[in-house]
Amino acid sequence: MHALLIEDDSEAARFLVKGLRESGHTVEHAADGRVGLAQAVSGPFDIVITDRMLPHLDGLAVIEGMRAKGIATPVLVLSALGSVDDRIKGLKAGGDDYLTKPFAFAELLARIEALLRRHPSAPHATRLKVEDLEFDLLTRRVTRAGQELQLTARELKLLEYLMRRAGQVVTRTMLLEGVWDLHFDPQSNLIDVHISRLRQAVDRGTDHPLIHTVRGTGYVLRRES
Amino acid sequence: MRLDLFNTTAFRLSVGYTLLVTLAVGVTLGSAYFLTESLITDEVDLIIDTELNSLEEKYARSGVPGVTDEINLRIDSWGRIGAVYMLADPSFERIAGNVTDWPFDGMPSERWPEFEIGTIEPGRRSVHPVRAAVRTLPDGDLLLVGTDISQGRRFADKFRFATLWGIGLSTLVAALAGFWFSYRLARRVGEVANTCQRIMAGDAGRRLPVAGTRDEFDSLAVSVNRVLDRLEEQAGTLRATFDSAAHDLRAPLHRLRTRMDALLMRSPPLEPPVYESVDAALREVDHVQRTLATLLQIALAESGAPLSAPAAVDLGELAEELVDLFEPVAGAKGLALECHREAGAIVQGNRQLLAQLLTNLIENALKYVPRGGRVEVSVRRAGAQVQLIVSDNGPGIAADDRARAVQPFVRVGAAAKDEGSGLGLSLVAAIARLHRGSLQLASNDPGLKVTVQLPL
Repeated sequence: MHALLIEDDSEAARFLVKGLRESGHTVEHAADGRVGLAQAVSGPFDIVITDRMLPHLDGLAVIEGMRAKGIATPVLVLSALGSVDDRIKGLKAGGDDYLTKPFAFAELLARIEALLRRHPSAPHATRLKVEDLEFDLLTRRVTRAGQELQLTARELKLLEYLMRRAGQVVTRTMLLEGVWDLHFDPQSNLIDVHISRLRQAVDRGTDHPLIHTVRGTGYVLRRES
Repeated sequence: MRLDLFNTTAFRLSVGYTLLVTLAVGVTLGSAYFLTESLITDEVDLIIDTELNSLEEKYARSGVPGVTDEINLRIDSWGRIGAVYMLADPSFERIAGNVTDWPFDGMPSERWPEFEIGTIEPGRRSVHPVRAAVRTLPDGDLLLVGTDISQGRRFADKFRFATLWGIGLSTLVAALAGFWFSYRLARRVGEVANTCQRIMAGDAGRRLPVAGTRDEFDSLAVSVNRVLDRLEEQAGTLRATFDSAAHDLRAPLHRLRTRMDALLMRSPPLEPPVYESVDAALREVDHVQRTLATLLQIALAESGAPLSAPAAVDLGELAEELVDLFEPVAGAKGLALECHREAGAIVQGNRQLLAQLLTNLIENALKYVPRGGRVEVSVRRAGAQVQLIVSDNGPGIAADDRARAVQPFVRVGAAAKDEGSGLGLSLVAAIARLHRGSLQLASNDPGLKVTVQLPL
């Protein structure tokens, strides 16, 4: 994937560029907003990652500039401003996701992955299917190998989120935001408990579990690799 | 805010003012009345005295016949209008005069006795009040001289009538004027109060209206507006300071974290013991970052900056969602977590902050209540307030420690050994205050009962 990173903090940028390249992305780096916007407009990128506070032109102005030129490339905003209001402003300006510094690199990778695959092939599908796990979205019935699973409403919500992103690593904060619309981190191991309950229901007694823990990052629903 | 007109200073002042007007008009007109009345009476008395004197003189010179003649003369056309005379012997029998019978029961005791006399005028009978004086002549005969005072009485009656009406009307006018003034005052003060309330509710750019009449209200409005400008400016400065503090602290934390991340992802991987300690250091960084974020959030909430873009949040629904979210955690710890809610507990606020408030309270309870305990979250309406109560049957907080427990970095009781930030309840208090609400800790006998009150 081809990414543009607009970040004025050269040291942070160096590590991000290195990390992204090691993860298999190609990255271009711009050190201020004006150059960043020019680059974003001139070349096709799969994703733009921009800092919020930049010299010359701030991150939100870069997004507005891009959108004004009709460039719909997904934008991930990185910011040292972490309040709820800052987040809302960032998303309103046309950002597709917002990550508050400091963040774990794994979190950034998962978010990039999610943005790149943001447009599922069949958004209005009425059935989700991963291997022998099937989710009928209309009747809210889930079957595993033809056997119906008894799931609570919250387990269904969580499973739907995971199945729609099958094969993709989702982090705990992504789950909190995506499933419960909570934009802060509770202290308890909330998500782990929910996942372990879901795992009990979905994977118990099978020899090929679908829900996997990705160490230090989050979870993924896929056929075991 | 609606001002209750009858409970304003202006209204009380105008009631007092009306009473004062009534009193002043009453005293003025009343004394004029009594003065006039006594002047008229004095005039009458003087005439009676003068006539008595001259008749007494006549008697001294020419005895009873002389007085009789004189009286008859005076009763005739020469006499004054309304004059009454009588000369009687010691047994009150009439000797002369225009009164047929002695009008009193014996000798009157007062100096100026009054009586009524019936007269026959052409066409009608009428009764006239008479004021008189009696003197005993040297030989025991009695001389009575009086004056018909019906005209004076009529005058006094009219005067009294006018006085009462005068008092009544001026009271009415003063009361109406006072009501009008207090209404106008209450309206202007109400405008000020309303505007202030809107500003408190988050409309920070609003200012008091200045009518341009350069009166005391305008000068008040101008002064208050200056204070508001200053406050808004300060809130802006504070906000900018927090933003730069956040930025300047987060940026190095971010670099630190990124370097550590890079170390952990290095290939070939770090030796396990090195990896473990870098990983532990990374968790410390995350802890510092969370504490910093919470502190900034508290500081921002406490700075008095109003809540930006508040929206309607159904607190009952939010509580239910969060209880649902935390239920598995409670279950894993062997605790019962329940939610009771009333419909329509809707507050104006920020959903994320209110969710954070609920999360902190629920997490606190789940952390300290021992296995087998129960935690109850209830949301209900109480008048113009929404009450959010999180109660448990855990160890609770000693009464002496409750006030301190809300302060930042203070850990009391069971929390003393805890690794938490010590900011949980401070953040709850700050979020409640930001929503113009309050936080209260009490005993649940046994356990802790946390009540958050928010305005509807």
